[in-house]
This record gives sequence, C-alpha cells and structure tokens, in this order.
Amino acid sequence: MTLTTRAGERRRPHIGSHAFLIVLAVAFLAPVVWAVLSAFKPANDIIRHPLAFDPSTFGLDNFIGMFEDVPIWHGFLNTAIVLVLKGSITLFCAPLAAYAFAKYDFPGKNLLFGTVLLTLMLPTIVLIIPLLLEMKELGWVNTYQALVLPGAVDAFAIFWMRQVIAAVPDELLDAGRVDGCGEFGLYWRIVVPIIRPGLAGLAVLTVMNIYNDFVWPVVVASSERMATLQVVLSTLASTISGNKIGADYATVTGELLAASTVALIPLLVIFFLLQKHFINGILAGSVKG
Amino acid sequence: MTTTSLPRPARPRRRGAGLPITRRLAPYVFVAPFVALFLAFGIYPMLFTLRLSFTNWHGAGSAEWVGWDNYTYLLTSPAFWNSLANSAVLWLLIIPVQLVIALAAAILLDNAKLRMRGFYRTAFIVPFVTPLVAVAQIWVVLFDQNYGAVNAVLGALGLPDIAWLTSSEWAKPTLALLFIWKTTGFIVVILLSGLQSIDSTVYEAAELDGAGRLRRIWSITVPLIRRTLMFAIVLQTLAVFQMFAEPFVVTQGGPYSSTTTAGLYLYNHITRGDLGTGAANSFLLVILVMALSLGMVRLLRAKD
Repeated sequence: MTLTTRAGERRRPHIGSHAFLIVLAVAFLAPVVWAVLSAFKPANDIIRHPLAFDPSTFGLDNFIGMFEDVPIWHGFLNTAIVLVLKGSITLFCAPLAAYAFAKYDFPGKNLLFGTVLLTLMLPTIVLIIPLLLEMKELGWVNTYQALVLPGAVDAFAIFWMRQVIAAVPDELLDAGRVDGCGEFGLYWRIVVPIIRPGLAGLAVLTVMNIYNDFVWPVVVASSERMATLQVVLSTLASTISGNKIGADYATVTGELLAASTVALIPLLVIFFLLQKHFINGILAGSVKG
Repeated sequence: MTTTSLPRPARPRRRGAGLPITRRLAPYVFVAPFVALFLAFGIYPMLFTLRLSFTNWHGAGSAEWVGWDNYTYLLTSPAFWNSLANSAVLWLLIIPVQLVIALAAAILLDNAKLRMRGFYRTAFIVPFVTPLVAVAQIWVVLFDQNYGAVNAVLGALGLPDIAWLTSSEWAKPTLALLFIWKTTGFIVVILLSGLQSIDSTVYEAAELDGAGRLRRIWSITVPLIRRTLMFAIVLQTLAVFQMFAEPFVVTQGGPYSSTTTAGLYLYNHITRGDLGTGAANSFLLVILVMALSLGMVRLLRAKD
C-alpha cells in the first residue's frame, strides 16, 4: 500500500533520511562553529586539546592580540569603501542597461546583448593578467579605482536584471508615457518599484561577491595601505609572526582564528537577516549560462 | 523620372523611426555606462593581451615580437601540463562526490513533509556565504598534521595521523574537501530548483509500477533534471579550473607543485613578471575551458 494520495504529497521521510541530512548539516556547520568557539579558547588549548571546549576558560586574548598584530580594521575599511563605490555602480548601471535591453528596440541591441552573453562564458581569471597590465599602464596599481571599476558592471547582473524587467507589463510603461513621464522617469518611478525583490536579490549577491572577492584585489592592490579584508586575511600567519617576534604556533593559530571569526561575522549576520533574498539571489545566479 | 500623385505605398519603417527623439536616444543613454566600462575593462584589455601573448614583455621596457614562442613554450612545458593535470585530478575528486551528495540532499529536501527543512537548507548554505579566504585559513588549522582537530578526531577513533597538507598524495584531497564543503550547498539549491519543476504524478505512476526508490531516482529524477544537473556540472568545471584562493592560502601550490592548479599557475606568471607567457596562458585556458563546457553541452544533447 502506498501512502501517496494526491499530487504533491509524498511519504514522510524515513529515519535514515534524517540521519543523512543531520550528518551533512553537522559537517557543513562544524568547521565554522569549531573556528568561532576555538577563537575564544586559550591559544595553547587550541592546539593541545582541539576538540575540548570549556566555557569557563573562554576569553578574548586571541582577539586582543590579533587587533594589535593584524591591520584588520584597515582591511574592513578598504573593503567597506570598495563595497559602497562598486556596489552603487553595479546596482545603478546594471539594471538601467538591462531596462534598455528589455524594453527598447534599438539598432545595435542584438550585437551588444550577444557580447554580454559571450562574456558570461569567459572564465573570470583569464581577465586578470589583461586587466593588471592595463592598470599598470594607467598607473592605477594599488588604487581604489583599480579595485572599483573593473568588474563593476558584470554581464551576469545585466543578464539577470533583463529577465526580471522583461516581466514588467509594457502597458504600465505606455500608461506612464501617456501621463507625461520621461524615459528615465518610467524606469525610476514604474520599473524600479516593481522589480524591488529582484534588486534586493542582486544587492545581496553583489555585497557577498565584493566582500569575498580575492583574486583581483590580491593581484592589483596587495600593498599594506590598499589591502582589502580578504587580502589581509590571506597572509595572516606571516603577518602575525612578523609583528610578534618569537610568537609560537599556538599564538599565531589563536590570532588567526580570531581574525577569521571577525571576518565571518558580517556576512553571517547579513545572511541570517536576509536569508530569503540570499536564496533568491543564488537561484537567480544559477540561471547564469 | 516619373512623378505620381498617388499616395506612396507604406514602406516598412525603420525601427524606432517616428518615435520621439528622446525615446530613440534613451536606450543608448541607459546602456552607455555599461558599454563604457565594458570597452575599457573588458574588450580593450583582452585585445591588448592577445597582442602581448606574442611578445616577450616582462612588465617594463620594450616588448619584442616572439611569434608563437610563448604558446609553444607552454605547450611543451611540463609545469603547464602539470597544472592542468592537477586541476583535472581535483575535478575527478570533487565533481562525482559533490553531485551524489548534493542530489541526495536535494531529493530529501524536496519533500514538503520533511521536518526541519528550513534548518537543513540554512545549514547547507552557510559554507557558501562564508569568505573563502577565512575558511581556507581555518582549513590550515583544522588539517594541521600535529595540532589539527581532524587528526585529533582520527586519533580518538584509533586511526593513524594523516599528513593532510604536507604530503603530495593528501594535499589534493584536502583542497577537494574544502571545495566540496564550500560549494555543495549552492549545488543543492540549484538542484532543488530543478526538482521543484517535476510533476509529482510521474513518481506515483512509477510507484504503482513497483519501481524501488533508487531505481526511481535513477530512471525518473535524473533524466528529468538532466539540464539542471548539466548546468551544475558546467558551472563547477569552470570553478575547479579557475581554483586559486584555496591553493594560494592553504598549500601555496605545494608540496612539490602537487596543488599548483591551472588558476594558481596563471597567477605565478605575474609574480615572476613573465607577462607575455601569462597572457598566452590566459588564452590557452580560455580555449580549454570553452572546449570543456561546449563538450559537456554536446554530451547532454547527444543523450537527449
């Protein structure tokens, strides 16, 4: 006898299914949870008893030491500057171009959009050397321009937003024209309010990508002054042992985990607050290609 | 020349003709910022680099035209092939394992009656939103041979220590684990979107036919979400061949170049200042990755 009665209803999952999912969930959460908890342990305990957690010994020593040795605030500051500038460019330019592709018919449109589709297929890493050379020519190595402008309007954002905007009914735009709305006004006052959920998804994904971006920053802006958070994080061990002469492995490890913890927190907070938009963003991201 | 007083037949009008000038110009204004950025930081550097790949430029001074030298150098260089082989091995270590785990998880999560669905989905996505560099640093600590938590767990189970990061046979699996950990949740979400488009009545029919669970997955679910699966594979193939931050932070490409991936090898041209070769390497990688993606799409079509 089958328990399935009508469409959409299936059997209650088996106990084995839960076991599998729980093992998987633990495996996915364990490294992060382990790192965050360990960051509060005395440095020597992290390496001597990596699996033991005694809350009574928890303290902030690793964090205090880390803030002395690692220029992490500087990294946060640079990341925040890039995030605001690059994020605004992406969120302003990409949907606007997408609006033109979705709602206007103009000579050259197909050629332009075809190029957008083609760049979707290019692996991003192959542009690294070309762009680096261009930055050298422009004298932009180790500048904010270099961190902000290349990649500010990526093909994917346009591709995605075009699909979102195409769903806006043309009648609304025609009605707006009758009411004397200008072309940009149509976009700003009619399209933008309708596509707000899509924009939220794009915003969340953009923030995540910029915050986590590493390859381009480490190539073009690896100086101490310009290092973004991820670049600062990438050389933690040598930074810590360089600033704390004679630091042993335990101290370095403790401070390294403290720095990683501090870097994890902003994204995890955003994620838990905006989970719905995150999943939407990732799903839309999966349309890519 | 004949003149006629008859009204001319209506000619098909040019697109946009007759519309107000603002409406004709508007789309160009709207795409202008994108086009400007795209020409400046997409097209121009690519063309410049294509030219550079035929020179021996080292980042300063004058460039000498060397023809196909950079390409032949790479194609006959064991280090170049080693980097591709490393990426290929990582691909083999990652893709099958990841797909099986992700498919199983997605199929289970697709069941509306599953309790704690939200919790599982959140747990699976957490790795995807964490910054890769921070996680790579955590990996270094977790997998340390002498002090790491992973070997501590093995020890507690009575198993011998493993030189995760310092032996060439284990360094690749350690990076593969990091990659699988980081991106499987993302693949689960993608596969879930494919599964949700399946009409559940097909399962009922199969169930009435007495098909077992695994059999149903293999002969119904997998074919129905074939496109989504293929899409996930293409996406992950691109990602594996570009893998850079993981070996950069965790193993620095070692031991004995066993984790110098295609992406890291490309980067190493920059640190050596050998930009002409790097440019050539970029184009070889483009060709390879494009060929891989197209090949896989072909494979998908052939099975249709």
